[in-house]
Amino acid sequence: MANHSSAQTTLHEHHFVDTDHQFDAAKLGMWVFIVNEILFFGGLFCAYIIFRAWYPDLFQQAAYQLNAVLGGINTLVLIASSFTVAMAIRSAQTDNQKGLRNHLLFTIILAFVFLIIKAFEYNHKFELGLFPGAYYNPAPEVLEHLNHPKANIFFSIYYMLTGVHAIHILIGIGLLISLYIRAGRGRFSSKFYNPVEIVGLYWHLVDLIWIFLFPLLYLIE
Amino acid sequence: MNTSAHDHHISTVKQLFLVAMGLTFLTFLTVFMAKVIVLPEPFGIIVALTIALAKAFLVGAFFMNLYWDTKFHVLLLVGSFLFFFLMVGVTLLDTLYRDDAIPSF
Repeated sequence: MANHSSAQTTLHEHHFVDTDHQFDAAKLGMWVFIVNEILFFGGLFCAYIIFRAWYPDLFQQAAYQLNAVLGGINTLVLIASSFTVAMAIRSAQTDNQKGLRNHLLFTIILAFVFLIIKAFEYNHKFELGLFPGAYYNPAPEVLEHLNHPKANIFFSIYYMLTGVHAIHILIGIGLLISLYIRAGRGRFSSKFYNPVEIVGLYWHLVDLIWIFLFPLLYLIE
Repeated sequence: MNTSAHDHHISTVKQLFLVAMGLTFLTFLTVFMAKVIVLPEPFGIIVALTIALAKAFLVGAFFMNLYWDTKFHVLLLVGSFLFFFLMVGVTLLDTLYRDDAIPSF
């Protein structure tokens, strides 16, 4: 206990035995949170499945209103951002401070690219009157391809799934910026990189959910 | 659980890059299968979900490091999927076998 107040104490909280104990606890906590997130999105996917089973023709017609090219580009953007966040963790593990900051910055930029593309998609739909639920008021050119009495339900599901996903991206950007600031102050190293690892897991989860959203919403023929 | 306590897995740049390339390839494949080779239902959705599950495996195993991680975290992830299928399955037992969907829905 002689050197109890050495640099070691800044790396783990007093209620943990050592940094590994702290690392394992943080990671377990994050995995439990991921389970919760999967079941949270699971409820929305469940609504998707019920209505697709009831109205398969609706989903075929409505998918025509979604831009598969923009959706595909956004899929690639998220894959690239998952790669850069994994590289950020590797940089922290190998004490590469510059690499850590750069990869966090790349990830933040890619996250903004995703949101900007999503905003263009939403804006285009708003112009066509493709609002959810009771606000659904389609423009005449929409009715050529999508003329279904339950069309508003598709857009309710679409906006809930993609909207809640976009909120997760926004929260992720906030977390990544906080990591970037702390990385700039040299807070992370191969001995302590829990926050990078945990935010990395969160970011991969956001990617994981989009992996299912993309084919289920955009790629129905 | 503590056996790996002092050697957290560090992926090589090559490993991470190959996983990203694999995910990119599968993205193009799923678009190709949906837009160019249009399979009759229900095979289109089966192929799309199989590719999505393969991508989820790549992300989970190699980006989220489950391949090298404690098995308990794998159990949590697989368990959440099982409970999701249970939720969907029990719900469909109701909604698929109604004579009429609730009229207002």
